[in-house]
Amino acid sequence: MIISQSSGEPIYKQISDQFRTDILEGRIQPGDMLPSIRSLAKELRISVITTMKAYEVLQNEGYIVSIQGKGFCVNAQDKEMLREQHIRMIENSLLEAIKSARIAGMSYKELKQTLDYLIKLDEEDSK
Amino acid sequence: MEYTNVIEGKGINKRYGKFVLDIPSLEVPKGFATALIGENGAGKSTLMDILTGILLDAKGDLKYFGEYSAKDRENSYDVKNRIGYVGSKGYYFPQWTIREINDINKVLFDNYSEEKFMRLLNELSVFPNGGIDLKKKNSQLSDGNQMKTMLAGVFARNTDMLILDEPASPLDPLMRDVLCQMIRSYVCEGNGDKSVLFSTHNIADMENVTDYAIIIENGSIVESGFVEDLKEKYILVRGDAAQQEAISQHLYTVTASQFGFSGIMLSDDLDSIAGTGVVTEQATLSQICVAVMRHNTKLDYCPVI
Repeated sequence: MIISQSSGEPIYKQISDQFRTDILEGRIQPGDMLPSIRSLAKELRISVITTMKAYEVLQNEGYIVSIQGKGFCVNAQDKEMLREQHIRMIENSLLEAIKSARIAGMSYKELKQTLDYLIKLDEEDSK
Repeated sequence: MEYTNVIEGKGINKRYGKFVLDIPSLEVPKGFATALIGENGAGKSTLMDILTGILLDAKGDLKYFGEYSAKDRENSYDVKNRIGYVGSKGYYFPQWTIREINDINKVLFDNYSEEKFMRLLNELSVFPNGGIDLKKKNSQLSDGNQMKTMLAGVFARNTDMLILDEPASPLDPLMRDVLCQMIRSYVCEGNGDKSVLFSTHNIADMENVTDYAIIIENGSIVESGFVEDLKEKYILVRGDAAQQEAISQHLYTVTASQFGFSGIMLSDDLDSIAGTGVVTEQATLSQICVAVMRHNTKLDYCPVI
């Protein structure tokens, strides 16, 4: 896990984002235990309360559950929900692209062409 | 979040001439590192002296570990054994050698580990050329090394709470980092049972080890809370001169230059500045502390350059 002190992104958010990505991409499986709050704080050299906040965010989003006396484990993920989450991530990335296109003075037609081109490139790469 | 307090105080009051320390309510959460932050002369050391029993004539009620009073702390061997203290003024006699300091700690405290003391002296590089000179007198050590020796002495004991008065001040940046790691390890390995209260006027160095902050100004607590909650309560805003004018009434503090300004304000006031187009981001603990301290200070800030 990489934590940046100067990225402007709150540290708790950097932690929860990385765990979320790991869960969504299957690097951490349902049922797996997350490191304990205090051992993670020690490893990352950050305060305990910041780690707690990161876990609280993930718990509120339903990614992890607290098991009394044991710590936090990854929740069984609903396939539908996972897909929804992925779609939301795609939408967000596309919105970013649209914003950048506007700043660069790119028309929607050009943007679509770029997307088509990139899809084609990606398909060729994976062959 | 559920937590209990390792220290609770009610109606703490101490007067020194014109200076009055007046704290109606004090809470130090158990299982966390708490920073007592304030300017020089704000009352940090006075409060710590009251909490450790160095000052015994202050008014108010104190409760330790949820069950012991200040009287219990004075009279019970057990309570004293559970609390470690390091003060900025030093308490090892100047003529004591490292060997004597070690021997005295061994006699004074039940759960003192000689092996850990020696290991910590090494980790804190009190003797930069390696090895430990047992004949070295306390008075022959630099201020920084005297502080490190006290820290090694207190961390070598098995305690449940540490009260550290300005531990970072005489240390160089490298050793401040080591100190932060020592505090963090203590709290983390305690698994929720061990707590640290330390004071500092330079919070930037200690920011990443601070869980709970108590900001003290001219004898009163002006703000306190868990750091992540404070970071939600206050927010950093940036903008240009015109925007600064538009929102100035909401700003706690402002740093302005010809290219724009940045300032701290309450997140609750964000609604009233909607539409001004200022940029917001999360403030650091030091930025929040400076803002709260400036907002409450009785001193007049007129920097002369």
